[in-house]
Amino acid sequence: MSTYEFKLPDIGEGVSEGEIVKWLVAPGDTVTEDQPIVEVMTDKATVTITAPKAGKVLETRAPEGGVVPVHSVLVVFEIGGGASPKAPAPAAAAAPAAPAAKNEPAATAVGDIRETLPGMSLMPTAVASAPAQSNGQASKQSYFNEKPLATPATRALARQLGVDLRAVPPTGSNGRVTKDDVRSLVTDGGAAPKPPVIEHVAPVEVAAPLALPPVTPRPAQKLGLPPPPAAVAALEERIPLRGMRKRIFEGMTRSKHTAAHFTFVEECDVSALKALRARLRPAAEKAGVKLTFLPFFVKAVVAALKRHPTLNAAFDEATQEIVVRRYYDIGIASATEAGLIVPVVRGADRKSILDVARDIQRLGEETKVGKVRPEDLGGSTFTITSLGQQGGLFATPILNFPEVAILGIHQMKQKPVVRDGQIVIGDVMLLSLSFDHRIIDGHIGAAFAYEIIGYLQDPDRLFLEMA
Amino acid sequence: MSQMNMVQAINDALRLEMRRDSRVVVLGEDVGKVGGVFRVTQGLFDEFGDERVIDTPLSEGGIIGAAIGMALYGLVPVPEIQFADFIFPAYDQIVSELAKYRYRSGGEYPAKLVIRTPVGGGIRGGHYHSQSPEAQFIHVAGLKVVCPSNPADAKGLLLAAIRDPDPVMFFEPKRIYRAAKGDVPEGDYTVPLGVAKVVRPGKDVTIVTWGAMLYESLEAANQAAGQGVDVEVIDLRTLWPLDIDTVIASVKKTGRVVVVHEAPKSCGFGAEIVSLVNEKAFLHLEAPPVRVTGFDTPFPYTLENEYLPLAHRILPALLETARY
Repeated sequence: MSTYEFKLPDIGEGVSEGEIVKWLVAPGDTVTEDQPIVEVMTDKATVTITAPKAGKVLETRAPEGGVVPVHSVLVVFEIGGGASPKAPAPAAAAAPAAPAAKNEPAATAVGDIRETLPGMSLMPTAVASAPAQSNGQASKQSYFNEKPLATPATRALARQLGVDLRAVPPTGSNGRVTKDDVRSLVTDGGAAPKPPVIEHVAPVEVAAPLALPPVTPRPAQKLGLPPPPAAVAALEERIPLRGMRKRIFEGMTRSKHTAAHFTFVEECDVSALKALRARLRPAAEKAGVKLTFLPFFVKAVVAALKRHPTLNAAFDEATQEIVVRRYYDIGIASATEAGLIVPVVRGADRKSILDVARDIQRLGEETKVGKVRPEDLGGSTFTITSLGQQGGLFATPILNFPEVAILGIHQMKQKPVVRDGQIVIGDVMLLSLSFDHRIIDGHIGAAFAYEIIGYLQDPDRLFLEMA
Repeated sequence: MSQMNMVQAINDALRLEMRRDSRVVVLGEDVGKVGGVFRVTQGLFDEFGDERVIDTPLSEGGIIGAAIGMALYGLVPVPEIQFADFIFPAYDQIVSELAKYRYRSGGEYPAKLVIRTPVGGGIRGGHYHSQSPEAQFIHVAGLKVVCPSNPADAKGLLLAAIRDPDPVMFFEPKRIYRAAKGDVPEGDYTVPLGVAKVVRPGKDVTIVTWGAMLYESLEAANQAAGQGVDVEVIDLRTLWPLDIDTVIASVKKTGRVVVVHEAPKSCGFGAEIVSLVNEKAFLHLEAPPVRVTGFDTPFPYTLENEYLPLAHRILPALLETARY
């Protein structure tokens, strides 16, 4: 029997830390090999990590909401052998011999020198505080623990100072938040000492200036909701911003605060596309692939991107450069219970429609059951968001930062269309394309949109683009 | 002022009150000619005679039953039960009659009397001479419960108890009958019931205790001071009605409380005190309230010093609480 320290593995390219979303096991639990033990969220995805070996969980080294660097110890297991070993008792040993035996090292050739033992976490300043400190300021700001430990007196102080205990990184023994922890958060400016109020600003009309005045950044004042009237307080639920929702929140905010969005909407006749897909579907099925429209959209987008390469660009804020990508990794925005994620079809330019269909099918299945792989997330060059049956007439998709364009696809509908001077029933679909107007001029964006529409209205043209 | 031990101080109080109030009578096993097995009633028989200092048969139910009857007829009996361990044959009389008379007679029969009885361990007395059943009387509505820790308090509290309109259980910690010595004021005075005393002021941890364990608590507090922990020690003196205000004021100051008593832990009076602290000082607590008590076993003869919450068991609790 020995202990085994399981470190947070490198769960994705460029991932340096993970946030503990949920522990699926607790100290004392016995786990089998490959049993899910913890859900960890990186900036890319939430992944379920499984037990590397069968054994007993001795310690979990981070609280839910805590941020853990890659390669730091996540769980300590006791492995090999179930019950604690008892040294073979000398014949007729007296009762007091038993406790003594526990304290002796196990009699092995090299000695059983352990990294950790049960109860080690009870030492003040041991594990609980160490990770919090090593993560420094960044983790302090993002710290969140749904069930903080604190004495009643500390809780009273936090209430008095208006500090949310859940956001206070603990330094006390057994992971407890101390009064000093609470006070330090206030002095760090992390919490408002008074209940915040909403600022009402009267609208002001100004004449358009000839020269733009220098922009004064607004002070980063956090606006809180006023405390609700007592009568409705119980009817409110406060859900902490964490996990995937936090990533989405940050991503959307960054996109909206940087890119100059403009959205272009146009109609597309998909009669030919529908006929083509219907014709190819049985062949795809024989290959074990369910052929949807999405692979055609992916290929049409790739073909259009090749003609308008700036749409496949990203903006590097650090170097102030437009980075045009000559590879085509197409993100497919997908709704999940936890929130929006974007699995990626890699190298879509080098894949056949069937290959793309196969990729999308696999990504869809994995996304549905929450098992999407980290390597399938992040790093897309262009994103398609399929708005489905309740996509509305049109939409204004938000760019998937740092991309400069995104395509929203709406439901195909039968509508009256004018063809050769006759009103006939046509199969029509709307496309909503959003661009970053800082980089994509309006006519370029429009040309790109018509390029896609051209391929979709006459999908046979896609054969000409086959690699 | 004169130096007295607990036995002498209680004897002084009885003598004083019997001289002052002719209604006061003493009764119990060997309280007369012998002067009590602990000599508490010594000399009373000679001074007041067998009409007021009555040797009774060995029958606790009879002693208390007779005392209740005397009280109803206007006397002020002070019966003695030789050891608190022996009180249970009289428990029905105390619970069903004594504690309820005033209530059920609409105040017509107050049943005013004081039951004196030696309590507690630490005297090599074994399981029938060492118990601390105070909680079983505190739990009975209608009784007051007193447990002094020193001669001066013992005299003043006993005088106050005899003059109190309600029945009072007067527990005398026999471990310190002779060890606790001190100046006792001459003549008549009372120590009011229901008022605790801060025996040692401190700022880090509050000890709540009473009776013989006060001295163990003070010893532990002294040792804790050597390790930088400043302990406040409260002697409750009257257990019921409890002076909760003094306890709460102290806990609000220290944020930490350790209750020390000899009786078994479960459902001991410490449980009630901790519960009240949680109710009234919850947001001031810096550590979980702790009880250092006897164990949930019969009182052991050979393991007396392990069973009792002596200083060597109180000190670690103080340090752990202070450093929680």
